[in-house]
Amino acid sequence: MTDPGGAVGSPLAGPGPGEPEVRWLRPSPLLLRARRIEVAAVTVPAAIIGGLAGQFASAAAGIVIGVALVLAGLVAERILARRVASWGYAERNDDLMVRRGVLIRRLSVIPYGRMQFIDVTAGPLERSLGLATLRMHTAAAASDARIPGLEAAVAAALRDQLAALGEAQAAGL
Amino acid sequence: MTEPVATGRPDGPLPARTTPVVPAEPPPSRHNAGWHRLHPLSPLVRAGRRVMSLLAVLIGVAVLNQRQVGDLVGDLVVVAIALAGGFVSWLVTRWQIADGVLHVDTGLFRRDSRRFPLAQVQAVDVVQSGLARLLGLAELQLRVAGGDSARGGRLACLRLADAEQLRRQLLTLTIGPASGPSAPAAAMPISRQILPDLAGQPARMLFRVRTSRLPIAILLTSAGAIALFVVAGAWLSAQFIGPVGAIAPFLPVVAGVGAKLWRQFNGEYGTTVVAGRDGIRLRSGLIETTAETIRPGRIQAVRLAEPLVWRAFGWCRLEIDVAGARQRAENRSEGQQLRALIPVGTRTEADLLLGELMASPPRPAKPAPVRARWKAPLSYHFLSWSTDDRYIVAARGRVCRKTTWVPLAKVQSVRWVQGPLQRRLGLATVHVDVAGRRVSAKIENRDSAEALQIVRSLPDLARAARSLDSQNPGRLTLPT
Repeated sequence: MTDPGGAVGSPLAGPGPGEPEVRWLRPSPLLLRARRIEVAAVTVPAAIIGGLAGQFASAAAGIVIGVALVLAGLVAERILARRVASWGYAERNDDLMVRRGVLIRRLSVIPYGRMQFIDVTAGPLERSLGLATLRMHTAAAASDARIPGLEAAVAAALRDQLAALGEAQAAGL
Repeated sequence: MTEPVATGRPDGPLPARTTPVVPAEPPPSRHNAGWHRLHPLSPLVRAGRRVMSLLAVLIGVAVLNQRQVGDLVGDLVVVAIALAGGFVSWLVTRWQIADGVLHVDTGLFRRDSRRFPLAQVQAVDVVQSGLARLLGLAELQLRVAGGDSARGGRLACLRLADAEQLRRQLLTLTIGPASGPSAPAAAMPISRQILPDLAGQPARMLFRVRTSRLPIAILLTSAGAIALFVVAGAWLSAQFIGPVGAIAPFLPVVAGVGAKLWRQFNGEYGTTVVAGRDGIRLRSGLIETTAETIRPGRIQAVRLAEPLVWRAFGWCRLEIDVAGARQRAENRSEGQQLRALIPVGTRTEADLLLGELMASPPRPAKPAPVRARWKAPLSYHFLSWSTDDRYIVAARGRVCRKTTWVPLAKVQSVRWVQGPLQRRLGLATVHVDVAGRRVSAKIENRDSAEALQIVRSLPDLARAARSLDSQNPGRLTLPT
């Protein structure tokens, strides 16, 4: 009990007191691939350049630097993989819940009626994998709710659905 | 006008006036129907400080090297161009109120036409800079939600009397049913509900800051401590190093801190809070005076701050947050600072005002679990929260105790956050966000299961509070 969200699956997903079970949905598995590509795109050139630069000192130094950078990339990949696995969102009757984070865990609850607008964005990499990021904005600058790595069609459908729900339940400031 | 409203004097009991709903008595206008001009002197006031400093520099330069009259001509050309620009911008600016919407048109080459639906106005301010006061002018500012100051409406400048009248008129329009169908359905019901209650209520004075207490209080805050530190440092270095040159490096810092302290003193001098028919009225200012009217139901959060030293005197500060940043002169918006209802006052005064804002404000009564001491050794004994069916209250703070009340009906989102240390201790923090970027009530370091329970139940409580509010509005600036 003292450790909600201990496992990656997170007891946050478990049924709360007197409440039907929350059904958590996850971003597309392609999100992990996108993150891996990003890590590789940084690690590989860095390792090559670092390795070559190290050659000026000695051959061994170059190899050590190159290997160290590759290892750093692998560690980053593990961290990102856990982070990707921590994303989840759940549509409840009146609000949307989004959870994320490994080291610092976060769970945001945004009532549909409070949504001011919804963004769907996709960078070049995300687009090539057919992914998109959904972002919800309320009047509060602090409330941050985004869901990365949704399949484009899912993102569009979710956006429309949220917009409709938001309109139906809209509340003033 | 019926009363000298913005003279810094609190207006006593108002007679139950009938404020005209129709745009009455248009301020001087030579334009086509319904459109009004700003006051001809307004470019001067708007440029305000910049013109003053420019003139000072030019005069200084001219005095220093008197012989070169040719340079002076060049300077005069610069001033003339600036004045001409201001005049043209005045010439092409016009405004009108029609169908509950304020239109402001401006721009010579690029026409800029803005509309402000009055139903969405969060607050109306009348601001007078020192120069504007000399000239009997005032600036009218409309605050709309969204934080971006550029989006707020600004009529600079009008004659003071006109500004006051317009303010009353706007508030009537914004509160009254006359704002029409253009108003978003959700924003209106609360305001409409309270209209009958507002009518015929005399204004009541709720608070007036003690002038003798204010400068002491300001010096006793952290800014004052910094100022003391800097002055002491300068003095010490002067003692040891000797010549005046040793003080020179401190001068910019001293000037900066001094300016900050002065700004606070200037802004909060003579703060007066009056409950009027159209909401809470706040007046303050020494040189630059501000008269704000905050409409009922527009307060997003109330915060009571008790800095360390102040607690010894039993003093506190009461601040409110309204969506939409207040603009300062020169269009800089006042970022982090909340509006102080009580810049400094006793707990009794604060409790009185709190009771006025919220019929029965809940007290932070549920302390944090003991193991929270490991996470927050300094602030542990302040951490607590509570809620009732309308408000949620959370107390926190290390040196300065801060208690924040948020109307449940205003909650925008709820977040549960747990850092690594908190996870080890089985704790979590709940953030309750309201509109704007400045305030969120933080319920810190609760038992994580309890925190989860709060996060899950709060949206439902907020919804319940909203429907409660629409049937029977809670206090928050509503005079009774």
